Amino acid sequence: MSTVFQGEHLLPGNLGQIFVILSFGSALLSATSYYFATTNTNKLDTSWLKMGRWAFFINSASILGVGVSLFYIIYNHFFEYHYAWSYTSRSLPVYYLVSGFWNGQEGGFLLWTFWQAVLGNILIWRAKSWEKPVMTIVAFSQVFLASMMLGIEFLGARIGSSPFLLLRNSGIEAPIFSRPDYLSFIKDGQGMNPLLQNYWMVIHPPTLFLGLASVVVPFAYAIAGLWQKRYKEWVAPAISYALFAAMILGTGVIMGSLWAYESLNFGGFWAWDPVENASIFPWLTLLAGLHVLIVFKNTGHSYFTATFLVLISFVMVLYSSFLARSGILGETSVHAFTDLGMFWQLVAYILVFLVLSIYLLVIRFKEMPITKKDEETYSREFWMFVGAIFLGLSCFHLLLVTSIPVWNAMFGTKVAPPADLVGHYNIIQASFAMVITLLTGFSQFMKYKKTDITRFFITTLVYFVFAALVTALVVYASGLYKLHFVFILVMFGSLYSILANGKVLADAVKGKFKLAGSAVAHIGFSLMLVGALIAAGTRGVVSKNDKGIVNVSGFDKAAGDARENIMIYKNEPVKMGDYTVTYIGDSTSEPNHFYKVDYKRYDNTGKLKEEFVLMPKVQINPQLGLAVSPDTKHYLLHDLYTHITALPPMPQSSSADPQAGAAHGEENDDKNYEAPVTHEVAPGDTIRFREGYMILKSLAKETSIQNIPLTANDVAVGAKLEVFSHDKTYDAEPVYMIKNKSVFDFARKVDDVGLKLRLTKIIPEKGKVEITVYQQPEKLKPWIVMRALDFPYINFLWAGTLIMIIGFLLSIFRRNKELKTV
Amino acid sequence: MKKSSILGLVVIAIAIAVIISVISKSSSYSTFNDAKGIQSELSIVGHLDKQKELYYDAVKDANYFSFYMKDKKGQECKVVFTGTKPQDFEKSEQIVLTGQMVGNEFHASKILMKCPSKYTQDKLNVTEVKAKTASI
Repeated sequence: MSTVFQGEHLLPGNLGQIFVILSFGSALLSATSYYFATTNTNKLDTSWLKMGRWAFFINSASILGVGVSLFYIIYNHFFEYHYAWSYTSRSLPVYYLVSGFWNGQEGGFLLWTFWQAVLGNILIWRAKSWEKPVMTIVAFSQVFLASMMLGIEFLGARIGSSPFLLLRNSGIEAPIFSRPDYLSFIKDGQGMNPLLQNYWMVIHPPTLFLGLASVVVPFAYAIAGLWQKRYKEWVAPAISYALFAAMILGTGVIMGSLWAYESLNFGGFWAWDPVENASIFPWLTLLAGLHVLIVFKNTGHSYFTATFLVLISFVMVLYSSFLARSGILGETSVHAFTDLGMFWQLVAYILVFLVLSIYLLVIRFKEMPITKKDEETYSREFWMFVGAIFLGLSCFHLLLVTSIPVWNAMFGTKVAPPADLVGHYNIIQASFAMVITLLTGFSQFMKYKKTDITRFFITTLVYFVFAALVTALVVYASGLYKLHFVFILVMFGSLYSILANGKVLADAVKGKFKLAGSAVAHIGFSLMLVGALIAAGTRGVVSKNDKGIVNVSGFDKAAGDARENIMIYKNEPVKMGDYTVTYIGDSTSEPNHFYKVDYKRYDNTGKLKEEFVLMPKVQINPQLGLAVSPDTKHYLLHDLYTHITALPPMPQSSSADPQAGAAHGEENDDKNYEAPVTHEVAPGDTIRFREGYMILKSLAKETSIQNIPLTANDVAVGAKLEVFSHDKTYDAEPVYMIKNKSVFDFARKVDDVGLKLRLTKIIPEKGKVEITVYQQPEKLKPWIVMRALDFPYINFLWAGTLIMIIGFLLSIFRRNKELKTV
Repeated sequence: MKKSSILGLVVIAIAIAVIISVISKSSSYSTFNDAKGIQSELSIVGHLDKQKELYYDAVKDANYFSFYMKDKKGQECKVVFTGTKPQDFEKSEQIVLTGQMVGNEFHASKILMKCPSKYTQDKLNVTEVKAKTASI
């Protein structure tokens, strides 16, 4: 209680905590004020509106205050704060300090609430007559986000988790915390998880959180539309925001998979991990919602579905954050957070918004502008609607499987996810993808309301046949035909969609420019699928080699993909697929250890066609152990991906007392070698050993050896040896010495070849010397085990993403233009 | 019948098909005892027996890793994995295996392990702190 702790910097934390509480209070005030501003019947009274605005401005400012305080703490390495201690360390460069900022859950909420505040300010500026009801919802959502960062005890329960928690209060038990000077023992933080030290981790979380945060805007418009009974008006502005949210969310998700591809070692860009799946739930429902909104805007059909999908998208955002943060995924995910004690708080956030949505849908159902007439079968709106339903179904399937731990928790069951989970997802999701891509293709040939049927069938058929031909070609060339049939169908659907939308794009360039956005986005989406399909489906294992495998009896191929790893000794070239690889050495740049792997490719005549060095890295982190990151050679049409999968046991500690080692002397060292072999040689002679040969160049009389002074009576002779091994040359000069009538010799090591050489005897009568050669047994030579994979056409995936983003941008411009004219 | 009703029926049919396919594919977490005599892949939760040997010798075979695991019922079984030893395997608190029994060995195609340190970093390494005091 009365202990005064030394060296703590409590000011930024206290200030930050005040800002957290202020952001909560002001959000609450803003939401309430906006609510009363909306329900106020006196149109001339703007006091509530003003109060709501000012409260929201204060909220935004205090969020900035929280951010600045937290960054100040991280930047100055105040490890008395749990957050700084947990996620950063002194050795982190500044740009990773920035990503340390959103490393923890609290930082994630901060980022989310920050973006929501930014969006809120844009809405205050732009939303005009919609401001009051829309901002009620946005501010209400801010209340929940702010509460996640509170970290305050309330009626015996802790609400939220504050980023300004002190280390000594964080529940970690350690005797040093009773000492006033405990901080002098905490010299450094835990450091960041090495896997997160990647440039994508600097920009992926802000993008993803902007995407997640922006889903609230179309949601707020939908709620406002129902609440204020302005059923049709909310759709037009909501489309722009929904386009923006879908664009950013999609970009964020793909950035995440780029990060996984570049820095994780599961060998791919998508693993159907629950946290990944959860991030695309809202994206799928929002895409579906977007299409139905456009249907409604153009034809007046499908009002309920459009509203429902927009509403459910935000609920999905909340649900996915619940999955990632509540700790419920425990047994099924590798990168979910653990529970910070906010389980029920997260549940409450979902339930409040879910109940609000359902309540409004139910009480307004009778008044909704629902058409009694059916859509025409040959109309674009009908098939867009069908497509949206299939997007929804795809989300439904993902949700059903990903939520298995949730069902288990709810019903007390113990269901395990399907054993071949990836295969299960691939096949079912591919089936949906096929339907969806086909629909994005042929619905382009239809018009809203009514289509000329004969013309439609003719064009559709022409493109169908053409797409089938291209598919056959691609499937044959890429080797996709070896896979499940459904993947070929997806390829067909995607190519069909590319062709059909390509036609629309061509027309758009000729004049109907407003259609360009959707066509470009569809092409991008289909191209993504093409890239993902070929890259993941025909991914090849390059690191296959039958040499040196001891077959373990009774072991068969039942256990999945076998033999993807290859062991290579240092400096021993190994043939692997088209390449000859050599592990040529290591380099260390703390905390990373790079393993240099040299790749050479020869053509048929044996001429060297290309050579490059890949440097997969391993980071040794005292808390987290070894973290492996791949290195990839990028070509235009494929990638060669290499990562370390096993290493020899590390020397316990590199600094482990060098004197101790020396004191045990030579005998101990000799144990690292095979029995020595002696050779009597004269200058010019050759000595052979297992991995090469050496030539005794000359014998030289030495005048000084290290620090030992030589007198006139002493003799020292050095044997200049040239060692040749695996196309490399090394020099070594073991020395023989007689000093004070005692004989000494100084061995020399060639570590790269695993040799120790001694000059053990001089035989003047024969004019020869005796060289003793020690060879390291093969086992002790440095080696690595690595896995190399080839990803063909993966650039289509990234290029498709870019094209899709461009498509979204074009659509946003178009919709905004329409907004101004209306 | 109206088109929307037909569509509704189709959607319901697909939804049911999805549910059925998920249910038929999903299994419950099993034990080594149950795994005997089943010819398909299943998942087993358990923990590593740290007393027994972890065998991985890259020099002999870079794709063979074996260890002993105790399942939730305490039964122990030798597990063989075609691949390298996952990093920090010794530190794992819990392991989820996917694979099947072959004779008396469980051949795993997938290993998911939960390490205590990886995402909950809240362990103050007191020994380390003490070591530093000595050197000051």
